[in-house]
Amino acid sequence: MTLLRRTGLAVFAPLLAIVVALAISALVIAVIGENPLTAVRVMLDFGETPSQQTQAMVVVVNRAVPLFLAGLAVSVAFRMGLFNIGVEGQYRLATILAAAVGAAVALPGPLHVLLIIGVAMAVGALWAAVVAVLKVTRGVSEVISSIMLNFIALGTASFLLTGPLRGSPEGASVITTSDIPESGWFPGLNGVVTGLGLAEPRSDLHGFLLVAVVAGVVVAVLLTRTRFGFDLRATGLSPSAATASGVDARGMVIKTMLISGAIAGLIGLPDLLGTSHHYGTEFTAGLGFLGIAVALLGRNTPVGIALAALLFGFLDRAAIPLQFEGIPASVVTIIQGTIVLAVVVANQVARQITRRQAERGSARAGASPTTGDGGRTTDEREGARA
Amino acid sequence: MDGGGPERYTPPGPAVFRVYRLDVARSRRGTAPGPDDLRSGGPSDTVRHHRPGPRRETPLNEPAPLAVELRGITKRFPGVVANSGIELRVRRGEVHAIVGENGAGKSTLMKTLYGMHRPDEGEILLDGAPASFRSPADAIAAGIGMVHQHFMLADNFTVLENVVLGSEPTKGIRLDRATARTRIRDISDRYALGLDPDQLVEDLGVGDRQRVEIAKVLYRGATTLILDEPTAVLVPQEVDELFGNLAELKREGLTVIFISHKLDEVRKVADAITVIRRGTTVGTADPRTTTARQLAEMMVGAELPTPQTRASTVRDTPVLELQGVTVAAPDARTVVDDVSLTVREGEVVGIAGVEGNGQAELVDAVMGLRSLTAGTVRLGADDITAWSTRRRREGGLGFIPEDRHRQGMLLEAPLWENRILGHQTRPPAVKGSFIDRRGARADTQRIMREYDVRAPGPDTLAMALSGGNQQKLIVGREMTARPRLLIAAHPTRGVDVGAQSVIWELLKDARAEGMGIVLVSADLDELIGLSDTLHVMLRGRLVATLDPARLTPEELGGHMTGGNTVGAA
Repeated sequence: MTLLRRTGLAVFAPLLAIVVALAISALVIAVIGENPLTAVRVMLDFGETPSQQTQAMVVVVNRAVPLFLAGLAVSVAFRMGLFNIGVEGQYRLATILAAAVGAAVALPGPLHVLLIIGVAMAVGALWAAVVAVLKVTRGVSEVISSIMLNFIALGTASFLLTGPLRGSPEGASVITTSDIPESGWFPGLNGVVTGLGLAEPRSDLHGFLLVAVVAGVVVAVLLTRTRFGFDLRATGLSPSAATASGVDARGMVIKTMLISGAIAGLIGLPDLLGTSHHYGTEFTAGLGFLGIAVALLGRNTPVGIALAALLFGFLDRAAIPLQFEGIPASVVTIIQGTIVLAVVVANQVARQITRRQAERGSARAGASPTTGDGGRTTDEREGARA
Repeated sequence: MDGGGPERYTPPGPAVFRVYRLDVARSRRGTAPGPDDLRSGGPSDTVRHHRPGPRRETPLNEPAPLAVELRGITKRFPGVVANSGIELRVRRGEVHAIVGENGAGKSTLMKTLYGMHRPDEGEILLDGAPASFRSPADAIAAGIGMVHQHFMLADNFTVLENVVLGSEPTKGIRLDRATARTRIRDISDRYALGLDPDQLVEDLGVGDRQRVEIAKVLYRGATTLILDEPTAVLVPQEVDELFGNLAELKREGLTVIFISHKLDEVRKVADAITVIRRGTTVGTADPRTTTARQLAEMMVGAELPTPQTRASTVRDTPVLELQGVTVAAPDARTVVDDVSLTVREGEVVGIAGVEGNGQAELVDAVMGLRSLTAGTVRLGADDITAWSTRRRREGGLGFIPEDRHRQGMLLEAPLWENRILGHQTRPPAVKGSFIDRRGARADTQRIMREYDVRAPGPDTLAMALSGGNQQKLIVGREMTARPRLLIAAHPTRGVDVGAQSVIWELLKDARAEGMGIVLVSADLDELIGLSDTLHVMLRGRLVATLDPARLTPEELGGHMTGGNTVGAA
């Protein structure tokens, strides 16, 4: 029952936050002189033909996959009390290097894809490890170092793209790396979509969705079912108690950042392996920062993050149709921003409610009839000994 | 589960009250307070500290209006009656102690009086007039102030800034420091608080911080002060100072409500005592005619064991050997200086000392939480100096930390996860590198049953438990792992009498079974009663090794302060 109430609260807080955020957004839309109801209609309108509808859904999911991975990367660190703000830099650097390696070799299909994934995870992990090492050895706050490393990563990525890793011809308007050969492409899932009896969408559903699901399951199991996850969460809840229980705090910082960075390395791969097949100046940016919002909204649990990522994907899809109706696409960003703010507030309220319930629980434990006789147990012990 | 227990305790009839009240009246009229009340009471009454403040000023015969009167206060929470039919009568100008076990309902009652929630039944009378508080602000306006157990001070502010925070005197929009300073100096002088308004709070010791809290309340014009477990955070000397301050407050006609479960202290400072058990008042007592044991028995409703151990169970095999252990603080100051000691199987080695003399650092060093600058630590035959904390725990070290919230528990995690904490590598809670949730829950339930942890179930959050129940869970968890050596740092601090006796029994049992125990404590009775060997720690060094069988608390107190003189205070 308490479990039910606790999960109820966990779901209720973000839901309430979303409703509040939508109300505020409606106000904003009204203030700029547009009809909020039109905006709602556009967001919910997935098109007329079955093909258009599946296409809209595929767009939402395709957008949600990298957001989910980004949220997951942030949340792993966050569960230990570490703010990995550097996910942005980690995935950008990981993606360009993975793209370069992928383009440079030719291997049989699965191996080629595995190599690219491996490179991306390794680069992300190593870049995050810089943050961890600085923290463990020099006591540098991971917030500061990871933000600073973002700039370095973005700068390095630009340099690599325009310099040694440039694959696009001189003078092209969009600079990219060389294309990854077809053996390094991740097959789409449209077969599954049509297999489910849905109409064939225009673009492919990212096959990387499967990798994301696996990553989510692995992280969930790791966090809640393993000793390592226990140590990680214990450190997040109380570093001093975790240390006293035998957790090696420094080792945990490094391991956690490695995991967080490795997941961050995956963020760019759905696009890289599924659609673009190269990294370029037009490659999706900002996913790392959105990941922080998604993780917050999803309360750092894989299922929550998946739902949050889908919501963000759903909102992002509406950006273009909204413009057709004369409503600026920034409305979507405003909604996302207010949702995150509202969630932070709601989470705090939920925390206080939990605490108050716990206090009541303590009053119950203290005053309940089961307390029976405070001294009796002692007497019994005494009696048993005599 | 809730329905199965014995029936609720029935509120005491007027007879109980009358008995105790008569007792009070008789003794008050009969005895003049003087040296002979030092002699009253049982064996635990050997008073080490001087008695602060004269008691004779309390007007006893004239029917002075009661400063605070609570009539039939009942407070229900969903499914729980936290307080029922509470009766409390506090005279103006007295120190009135409220004692009771943790979870007996003292805090709920004080929250009612301080306006943090409203009672479901009953009335509050201040100076004879009914009062009703919607918030603490109302209570403050009515002259009631609360000094919380955990200080609420901003470290990087001065005393002045902390005192005025929230009710700042202003000149235009600027803080009128001159006025504030005058008023604080005034309060400080009047009640002998000895505060310097311009000192930074972070530079103050615990005792001074508490006086800042008291000044905060006085600054807001309180005439009735509620002190919630004020001595829990103080060392004996500071307790004496606090009692001196309370005497000053009393002299100025203020009323003090003093919540505690340290019965010796209560008997030393209070003019009257109200005992609360299971949510209701079980009676009042006169501190001068009631012994600590009698009070404790009123609190728990049963006779109590003493910490006295019986026959020695010390064997020959050493389990822990410290050789020249030296620890430096981050600022390179030596906090543990060349400590050598041996703990044998079945032996309790007590470490006495005024807090802050290196005991905490020594414990950290043995647990591997702090590195040594010199010396070795041996556990049985192994040199564990270089081992990690986890390896030490696996090797048979158990740990009851001094501050359970900081080092012993995950407050926001359920009990079964707290069962795993510190035992992440061992069954039954863990299978290989996976957590055995079912095993952990089952074992938590066993611990709750065997160690009398009162909580709804293993999924309850740890923060929902009272201090005593949290501590019993920790003790149960550590005992379950059957350590070779247990480090018990203040194992009964902040727990009620019932839990205290349970924990003492557990330590005695473990000792009888051959466990070596290092007992760090500030409770002199506990140290003398449980230890086989007693070391005194002063400024990081072991300065004396004493035989607890031939030691009085006075002598021990003398060694702890370095004076070696009886009654140094």
